[in-house]
Amino acid sequence: MNRTVLAVGALIALAVIGILFLGLGKNPNQIESPLLGRVAPSFALREVGTGKTIGLEQFRGKPVVLNFWATWCGPCYEEHPVLVANARNLGSSVQFVGVVFQDTEEKIQRFLNDRGSSYPTVIDEAGKTAIAYGIGGVPETFFLDSTGKIVGKHDGPLTTDDLRANLAKAMGQ
Amino acid sequence: MNATLGRTIILASLLVSTAGAIIAFAAGRTRSREGLKWAQRFAYAFAFLMIAATAVMEYALLTHDFSVGYVAQVGSRTVPVWVTIVSLWSSLEGSILFWGLILGIYIGIATWFTRNDYHEYMPDAIGVWLASAAFFSFLIAGPANPFLSVANPPLDGPGPNPLLQNHYLMAIHPPFLYLGYVGMTIPFGMACAALIKGRLGHGFLKPLRESLMLPWIFLTISIMLGGWWAYEVLGWGGYWAWDPVENASLLPWLTGTAALHSMVVLERRGILKGWTITLIQATFLLVILGTFMTRSGVFNSVHSFTQSSIGPTILGFLAAALVFTIALLATRIDLLESEGRLEGGVTREGMFLFNNLLFVLLTFTVLIGTVFPLVVEAINGKQMSVGRPYFDRMVVPVGAALLFLIGIGPALPWGRATRAQIRRALLPPIGGAILVSGIGFALGVRNPWTLLTLAFGGYAAQVTLTEMWLPLVQRLKRGDSFGEALVDANLGRGRRRFASYVVHAAAIVVIVAIAVSSTMRSDVELQMTRGQATTVAGYTVTLLGVEERAEPHRMSTVAKFTVAKNGAQRAVLEPRMNQYMAMREPIGSPDVYTTAGGDLYLSLMNVDIARQSVGVHVINTPMVVWIWISVIMMGIGGLAALIPHRRTAVTNYTPVVEPATPRYVKPEEVTAS
Amino acid sequence: MVAAAMLAAALAFGQAAQVPDAAQFVGPPQGRPLAGEELKERTQYIGGLLRCPVCQGLSVSDSPAEMAVNMKKQVGELLARGYTEEQILQYFEHSYGQFVLLKPKFQGVNALVWLLPVIVLVLGAAVVFMKMRKLAQPSVAAAPAPPAPAEDPYVARVREMVGGGK
Repeated sequence: MNRTVLAVGALIALAVIGILFLGLGKNPNQIESPLLGRVAPSFALREVGTGKTIGLEQFRGKPVVLNFWATWCGPCYEEHPVLVANARNLGSSVQFVGVVFQDTEEKIQRFLNDRGSSYPTVIDEAGKTAIAYGIGGVPETFFLDSTGKIVGKHDGPLTTDDLRANLAKAMGQ
Repeated sequence: MNATLGRTIILASLLVSTAGAIIAFAAGRTRSREGLKWAQRFAYAFAFLMIAATAVMEYALLTHDFSVGYVAQVGSRTVPVWVTIVSLWSSLEGSILFWGLILGIYIGIATWFTRNDYHEYMPDAIGVWLASAAFFSFLIAGPANPFLSVANPPLDGPGPNPLLQNHYLMAIHPPFLYLGYVGMTIPFGMACAALIKGRLGHGFLKPLRESLMLPWIFLTISIMLGGWWAYEVLGWGGYWAWDPVENASLLPWLTGTAALHSMVVLERRGILKGWTITLIQATFLLVILGTFMTRSGVFNSVHSFTQSSIGPTILGFLAAALVFTIALLATRIDLLESEGRLEGGVTREGMFLFNNLLFVLLTFTVLIGTVFPLVVEAINGKQMSVGRPYFDRMVVPVGAALLFLIGIGPALPWGRATRAQIRRALLPPIGGAILVSGIGFALGVRNPWTLLTLAFGGYAAQVTLTEMWLPLVQRLKRGDSFGEALVDANLGRGRRRFASYVVHAAAIVVIVAIAVSSTMRSDVELQMTRGQATTVAGYTVTLLGVEERAEPHRMSTVAKFTVAKNGAQRAVLEPRMNQYMAMREPIGSPDVYTTAGGDLYLSLMNVDIARQSVGVHVINTPMVVWIWISVIMMGIGGLAALIPHRRTAVTNYTPVVEPATPRYVKPEEVTAS
Repeated sequence: MVAAAMLAAALAFGQAAQVPDAAQFVGPPQGRPLAGEELKERTQYIGGLLRCPVCQGLSVSDSPAEMAVNMKKQVGELLARGYTEEQILQYFEHSYGQFVLLKPKFQGVNALVWLLPVIVLVLGAAVVFMKMRKLAQPSVAAAPAPPAPAEDPYVARVREMVGGGK
């Protein structure tokens, strides 16, 4: 019995198998956001349809649901009705804002006309807001509390349950 | 019907390989000749069943039998016939069946070639092969079954992954990769057999070396094909991104190359037995690790199959193989007696040891860089990346050191050498180093790493060319006719030696070409409209127009450019964007004008057909084509070393002639001392 | 509450669009503004250090994806305004985390990825030198090496643990 070989071999085997096992089932494309717990990067962007400039600061004082999406993204079609319905139900107690990037105003307008909307949608033309929020794919949704701090983030299409769970955090419950 | 037949065959192969493995190991214990005969029969049966299963699948694909699960998943009536044929390896289940086919063929051939020899080792070797075969049969029969029946067969299917259809290289890259990957099972089995028996005799080195050499050749070429594919398809003008899956193919190549080198020392000196065996086993384990990386979805890569459920199963197999290997090594490695010893320090044996050290270091660095993000996530839950800048920083110096060794290693004599001898061997090639780096400097190379690579390359080239033709020159001096000398020194008896220098020469060109092409490229991004011309790197590139082309399986937007130099037209390039039904985003397909000096590479960034305007990325990269050519030369060199030479075919082993060093010790003498 | 929000919205009307700026996170530029060929080269270089978040392992410089193109543009703009390499990397790390850095920092656990290969090199070189010296010694290796029966069992064990009994 060669103990050196055994020891070194066992070490390698344990390390390799252990790490790979822990890695199983994780999605390598899901990035943990370092923005959690920080104040959301401020922006003022043009609203689709009205041309008004909407700034994030103007919503201080209530929780904000910040949804990054695009018309070329499949799952965004899936979650759109969820967002619209919840924004209607919650009324003015929570502010919903859609941020569209890598897209054209014309397509967004058509999307909103076809599928309805109940909250403002702004367009991030050079994609800089998306970069500041560390967007890796769409849809991604940030939840801000009333002080403008990011308290939750959801990757992929939202369900009403996801929304409620994150909003609870944003409302400080 | 096809589905049922396929499932039956796979179940039979699971049975045959399991029973065969048990019989083979039993025969190994009892040393029964009859048992070995039966093990061989089971090995042939497994090969036959795998060929039959693949035939059924190909038949189902070609006849568009959508009642077979895999066909419903990747088949389509609209794709060309060649795409249908290669669909076998376009998706997970089919690729595992393809693995089984290649494993069957390898096992069949290896069993046939060793049928009358090496009785001591073969039962256990066949046992290990068939055990691996049983695992893959299990995968095909269960977790990755391509022969599932579809209750309500669709009329047409979606067709295979568009990336596969997009370029012919994607049709030939996977078979080469599989031939390389799967083939490593054969030397692994032999190495395990040697450990089980606790003996590695000199006679068994030949099949061990040859069975390692053949998949090594395929792996070498497949790594190049993968890089070439990335270059031709991905549109960023590079061929290697240190992507986890690219790394996965490189890892076993590194340990395999190390094993081929340590085996040279083993054959000559009778030392490094346990080490060589360890390297061969590591090669197979890294193959399985690579398979896991490609198929588990744990790693983020362009090449991986996403969403697969077989990750845990392959991990289980990897764990079992690791435990088996480590247990074998720990209990048996000390039984493998060293028969010889080293002489002197700075001699060729020492260089081989350093070669092995560097290859192991490279393996470790690439492995740690690839899995490190997983380690960190497991420790603190934070995601991080290890990418190209890391690998470039870490690997380039080691690559340069290896190039240095290709130079000084073969220049040094075997055995003990005097200072004067060493000086005489090492000083003259400095001329080559000065010459080549001087030429590079004159042509505009200023990057210090590139200049250093050129110097090492020149040094190594002079040594290699000298060693390559030295036996020929000596025979000519002795008075042989040119024909006789050539046959004797390079094509016949001395062919293995000659071939190894061909591989070295090609490797030198590859390393130099990589260094030059990665540091000397220039690029420009342009927005052009029809009729507009621009000058890039001495070429005049003119946009003739943009058009749309419809094919049954895709729509293409093609931009047509002419490339001219000094007023003479050299090429028409058609970079395009291909839109496949199954994909939202179009796949860019660059076009390349290749010359011996360098490539002019056009890749579309955006297209506006109405305005006849395109955004194009023009990249000028020197020496790229030499990478592809030289890697093919490495393969040819490897093959030349493999083909049996008439006289060696009769006797079991003929020592390699080493005219440069009269102090050659025959293996028998070593054993006796 | 609602009125306040409406007032704010009214005030915001007509105001120019404004995107989050690097100054918010990494302060004012600490280098000199770049231009021309130098700007292009540095942009390419720094883009090569950043991971394209929507691609699979490609750098921002290498990827043709729109996200990567936008990121590369932003790198160029920041360089033109005089931001340093360190500040730009810090800016992207602020929003994406260390995931975005293709060259891991020499910091905390991540330092291991730089150190381990060096440790392996040193250990490996030591093993090679020991092996060469051992193999170069005449008698030890050439002997068929059955363990001497008279040997102290303790010494034998030490030998076994140290050198594998060879």
